[in-house]
Parts: sequence; structure tokens; C-alpha cells
Amino acid sequence: MFDLLIEGAPLYFSPASVLLTVLGIIGGLVIGVLPGLGPLMGIVLLLPVAFHLDPIPAMAMLIAVYVGGSAGGSISAILLRIPGTPLAAATLFDGYPLAQKGRSQDAIGLSITASSLGGLVAGIVLIFFSPVLADFALNFAPPEYAAMALLGLLTIAVVSEGSAIKGMLAGGLGLAVATVGTDEFTQAYRYTFGTINLTSGPNLVAVVVGLFALSELFVQIEGGNFRDRPQIQKLRISFRAFRLIVNHRWNVVRSALLGTGLGAIPGAGGDVSAFVSYAVAKRLASEAEAYGEGAEGGVVATEAANNGTCGGALIPTLSLGIPGDASTAVLLGALFLLGFFPGPELFQYHADVAGGIFLAYLASNVVLIVLGIVLVPFFGTVLKVPKAWLLPLVLLLSTLGTYALQNSVFDLWVMLAFGGIGYVLRKANYPLAPIIIGMILGPVLENNFRRALLLSRDGPMIFLERPISATILAIAAVMLVYVTITTVRPRKRS
Amino acid sequence: MTLTSRLVAAALGLAALAGPALAEFPERNIESIYPWAPGATMAASQVIADAMGEELGVNISVVSTPGAGGVKAFETALSRDADGYTLFDGYVAPLVIQPMKGNADWTYQDFTPLWSATSNSFAIAVRADDDRFDDLSDLIAYMKENPGDLRYSPGVAGGIPHMVGAATLMATDTVAQLVPYPEIDVAVRDMRGGILDFMVTNPGVYNVNKADMKVLAVLSDMEDASTTYGGAPLVGAFDIDIGMANLSPSGWNWWLVRKDTPEDVVTTLRNAMEAALKRDDVHQRLLDMGYVPTGFSPDQYEEIVGAVAGELEHGQKAIEWETEKLNGL
Repeated sequence: MFDLLIEGAPLYFSPASVLLTVLGIIGGLVIGVLPGLGPLMGIVLLLPVAFHLDPIPAMAMLIAVYVGGSAGGSISAILLRIPGTPLAAATLFDGYPLAQKGRSQDAIGLSITASSLGGLVAGIVLIFFSPVLADFALNFAPPEYAAMALLGLLTIAVVSEGSAIKGMLAGGLGLAVATVGTDEFTQAYRYTFGTINLTSGPNLVAVVVGLFALSELFVQIEGGNFRDRPQIQKLRISFRAFRLIVNHRWNVVRSALLGTGLGAIPGAGGDVSAFVSYAVAKRLASEAEAYGEGAEGGVVATEAANNGTCGGALIPTLSLGIPGDASTAVLLGALFLLGFFPGPELFQYHADVAGGIFLAYLASNVVLIVLGIVLVPFFGTVLKVPKAWLLPLVLLLSTLGTYALQNSVFDLWVMLAFGGIGYVLRKANYPLAPIIIGMILGPVLENNFRRALLLSRDGPMIFLERPISATILAIAAVMLVYVTITTVRPRKRS
Repeated sequence: MTLTSRLVAAALGLAALAGPALAEFPERNIESIYPWAPGATMAASQVIADAMGEELGVNISVVSTPGAGGVKAFETALSRDADGYTLFDGYVAPLVIQPMKGNADWTYQDFTPLWSATSNSFAIAVRADDDRFDDLSDLIAYMKENPGDLRYSPGVAGGIPHMVGAATLMATDTVAQLVPYPEIDVAVRDMRGGILDFMVTNPGVYNVNKADMKVLAVLSDMEDASTTYGGAPLVGAFDIDIGMANLSPSGWNWWLVRKDTPEDVVTTLRNAMEAALKRDDVHQRLLDMGYVPTGFSPDQYEEIVGAVAGELEHGQKAIEWETEKLNGL
């Protein structure tokens, strides 16, 4: 496992990568602190910038934003009782009461240190398991990849917030969008409506920016309160958290491992793992009754878990090319567009790139613990920025970034159209992440499915004759049955 | 306004107008629009772009614009001004094949050629440890006995590797199941895993995966081609005539600009490209990557590209023949 790190070291340790890690953490923390934005938004807004950089600095920046953004959400949860991101929803159970007791500095310090240490634990698991999983995946052939893509699509749809049916419909929309472009087997055009702009499908970045950034903008504008400035206690830099966190060392390790494990399951995501590890920490705590009233352990458990999830979600993303959540789906898309195909080949032929990405992840968490503590007073100021300033900035970044991708006005129309679609879907309570997963996994599923049928002498039996693909499909079938039962039953009762 | 100030203004205006015309081309960076996704082949184009940029004193960036079998890149370059700041990395697919198939409304005669860049031959390869096939004759004998039993991939369906692969099968009256892979690297993985029996590879992929593959025959009649595959035999050594000769069974590119580009700009670009291609370090780097510098001059364009266009019809027919055979299995 250390070979990877050694090979990646010369790639990662360049001034550009390290600087971008630092900037990425700051940017991620800021965007995580701001309610309504979050790591995904950060990645989305920086995606266009990433394509003007070399692969490793670009990935270092995006990963740092991912890590910083996941940690930053807790700060507004603690200070304002508004989680900056859904990931931090469980943090306010104990973080906010702690702040009410006048210990907001401790709460923030603990959440930052727990996030960072949780991320480091996950990083070690990531470095250890990804190559192993990738090695196993070397036995994968088209039937296995098709089955894996199907399973990934199903899980993300099922586990995403809202109903499983809506999740699946959203995933289906993503699959439909993925069919636009050139058929890779016959070179025939599909749904391109005679325009050259669609021959390689709508630009993924334009779709992502529209779907997430623009639709969020519409929702925020609708919400009003453009000039509100929340009241926040004065914050100072304090290193006391380094001492406090030592008392919670086992909690950190346990929660981080839980988070990593859940994160590695495609679709499970940080919010789920934060709640699960909170529940576990509460059950194991000596003073369980303090949980919910401002227990340090509660903050530590949720934060270690949700940053652990980030590392966990990178495991299937890098080793199989199957993203763990929406943010990693976009990271995966970025890696594709930068010219690298995540999967076993990444470890075999581009071990240095894989190692560089691991180092970027580890370094992000180290930078997080330092900057997260030092910049605490700054976050108080950021929280006071009114929407009237923030929203135009998001619009400006989205538009400039998308246009700069390939100087195409068509991409701006795509962004706008998907902004509208995203807004309508949000209003109707449809999850958006499955759309992106569908768009990314669609071609993987289609190409491998068709290829498997060409390879087969026996029609679709090839999927069942091969033990690995049969197993994966069996899991998918069980999940489908489970969803059907849980969705149909309540309806019968009512 | 006094007369003097009017004169000054007029002089300034004239100077401003004359400025751009007097400035020497190129005064800013140049883009070369490359029609495929980034990879080994793009690195070869980058080598030429870097060297040519050094000659011109500006930077030439290779911009990957994949899509629609190369057509998207050409459309993109055609939408730019004919000022020499946008070059076409004119691969044979968008230049000749796509128009032949009716997917593009230009012909090779609609562009002004600079110099030709490189060519690369294709080869039939099997797994390194596949002891069923020692040479091409074994492979052909096996396919004759078991028609359609073997599975092979030429990468993308309909491209030149597919044409030469199908032409080889047609020449020997054999058939194998075609399995297209948009990413040829993935085909290597599946051949290694035993899912595919053989593939039509290019030198870039061969160089990266040498340890995993055994080249049975190079599908070319040019001696140079054999050296890019570690001295593997040419297909002619097995008494097989695939019906395509010289450049036509190879992938190649010819750098181009828009037809209406000013003549002096074209001359500057041609001179720079010629100088770049004649540099020994450039020559050697390209060869090391498996790409043979072709070095055809702009006035050979018509003669060479015209001939290739004709011969590719044969490859197209071979694909149609193969499709019929596969449907009849």
C-alpha cells in the first residue's frame, strides 16, 4: 500500500497541489459554513476551473473542497442551529446546546478536530482497501461491470432522501439524458436533433452546475430575506480542542470506521452515517442522558463519521468507478474528463495518479485541522454575509465557469435548462443526486450490457453463469424486492 | 479642433488601422484541435505542437475535442476564423471516413494542407500466454475450423483498425465475433482476462501493454511498421493480401488549416512545421512512442490523400462483408 503513496509523492508534492489543497480547504470550509451550499456546490463551482489545471492539482483542489465542505457544515449547525449541509444535521443535537452553554468555541474545535481525525482514519482505510478492491475487480469483465453499475444506480436511488420511487425516477432521468450523443458501438447519432453541440451529449459540467447550483439559487431567491445578518457570539482562536479530543479517541476511531464503512456502500452518504454513529456513541456512552443536552461525544461522533464517509465514498469511486455519493460522482466525472478512468486500470497503469489522489485526501485532512481552528473567527464573519451578496456571486461563478469550459453559449443554455429542471424537481421533492449518478453510470451500464450480450453465446444467461455478476444481481434483486414491499405495504394499510 | 490636432488624430487612426496588418504572424498562442480523447496518440500530437511552437515562438496547445468520430473537432475548427490561429489535427477518420459515410459535408479538398504528421500501423495481438496461437496461421486455422467462435475487438467499430481487421478476415475467409470497445485500453483488460481472444492494437497501446500481449502480425506492407511492434512479422509474410497498401491500412494525420487562410500565414505555418518535423529529437521521440513521422510535403497532399480515400472503400466493404457473415452465423 505504501508503494502507491511513494509513487504518488512526486506528483502530489508540487507547490501548485499543496497551495490548491490549502485554498480548497478554505473554500470548502466557507462554502460548507454557508447554509444551503455545501461540499457538492463547492465542487460544482470549481469544476470548470479544474479543467484548466493539471490532473493532480485539479483533483487535490476538488478533494480539499469536498473535505472542507463536509466539515464546514457543522459550524453553522453549532452557532445557528442551521446545518450548513445535510451532513451536519446530526451535529446540531449536541453542538447547538453546547454553544448555548457558552462553549461554542469548544464545540467548533471538537467538530473540526474530530472531522480531521475521522478523515485521516478513513484515509488509511482508503489506502489499504482501494487497491485490494481494485485487484479483485481485475476479474471483472463486461457482465460484472454492467451488474455493478445497475447495483450502484439502484442503491443511490433507494437510499437517497425522499421516496425510493422518486429516487429511481430521478435515476431514470439521468439514464435518459445519458443516451443523448453518439452511439459508441455504431457511431450513430441519438437524440442530437441535428446539432453538432449534442453529438457527445450535453456537457456533464453544464448539467451539474445547472442542476445543483442554479436550482439552489432559484430556491434561495424564492426564500427571500436577502439582507438578514444572524447574531453570532464573538469567536476567538482556541487550541483547547486538541486536549479535549484526546478523551474521545475511541469514539473518533469507532465513528470514523462506521462512517467509512457506510460511505463505501454506494448511496449511503454522510447524513446516514452521522445519525448511525451518533446512535452508537450514545448507546455506548457512560452518560447517555447527556446526549442531546450538549455532550461533547455527540459532536465528535457525528463529525468523525461524516468526514469518514468522504474517504469511504472514495473507495468504490476510485477502485470500481462506481461513485459512493453525489459529490464523489462529480469527482469521478472530473477524473474522467481529466483523462483518467477510475477502476482497476487506474491502480495498474496510473499508480502515481491514484497515489497522488490518496495523498491529496490525507493532506486535506491535515490542513483542515490547522486551518479549521485558526480560521474560526473568520467563519463568524462569513456567516454574516447576507444573501444579497452571496447569490449573485454564485450566479457569476456558475455562468463564467460553464462558459469557459469550451467557450460555448450552448453550454449556458444547457445549464439554464437543467437549472429549471432542478428547480421543478426540488419543488416536487425529487432527489437530484441520482440524476448525476444515472448520467455517469448510464454509459457504463449500456456499453457493458451490450458488450456482454455480444460476448455471450447464450443471450442474457452470461449474467447468471458468472458467479460474481450473478451475486451482484442477486443483491440488486433483493434490494428491489425490499423497496417494492416497503413502498406498497403502507399504501395498502391506508 | 485645430488642423494640427486633426492631422495628429488622422495619423493615429491610420497607425491603429495599420497595426494589425503590419504585425508579424503569429502574435498570440495557437490551438490545434485534436479529435480524440486524451491518451497516447494525443501525446504524439503534443510533441509536434511543442516543437512547432518553439519554431514560431508561441505556444501551440493541443485541445482535445472528442465526439462523433472526429466530426465535432472539425466542426469546432471550422467555426473559428481562417486566421491560422486554429489548426486541424486532420486524422483520417474526420478527414476521409466520416465524409465517405455521409456524416460530414466536406471533402479533403476543402482544406489547405500543412505537412503530414505521423502514421501508425495496426497489428493483430493475442494474450502473451495464449499457447493456442504461435503465429497468424494458427489463428486463421482455428477460425476456419470454428467459425465465429473467437471474439475480437478492434476498439471502436467502423474505424480504420476495424477496417483492416475485417479486411484480414475477409482475405482469409474467416469470421470472429466482433466486440466494439470505445476505449481500447479496456479491450486490453478483457483480452488479458480471457474474455477476448484477440484484438487489433495500435503501437501506443502495444507499448504500454507489451508484457501482456503477443503480436501475431502487423497489418501493413511497410517495413518500418514492423519495428514499431518489436520486429513482429508483416501480414504479407503469411501470404495474405489484405487489399490495402501503403498508408491506407494505417492511422495517420495531416495538419490542416481552413481553405481561406491568408497565403503568408500558411507559408509561415508550413515552414515551422517542416522545421519541427526535421528535428532529430522530435523524430526520435515520435518513433519511441510508436508513431512513424511520414514527412509528406503539402504538394503531395492531393496525390496521397486521394489514393487513400479510394482504398478505404475496400475497408468499408470488408466491414459490410463481416457484418453479413456474423448475421449468418
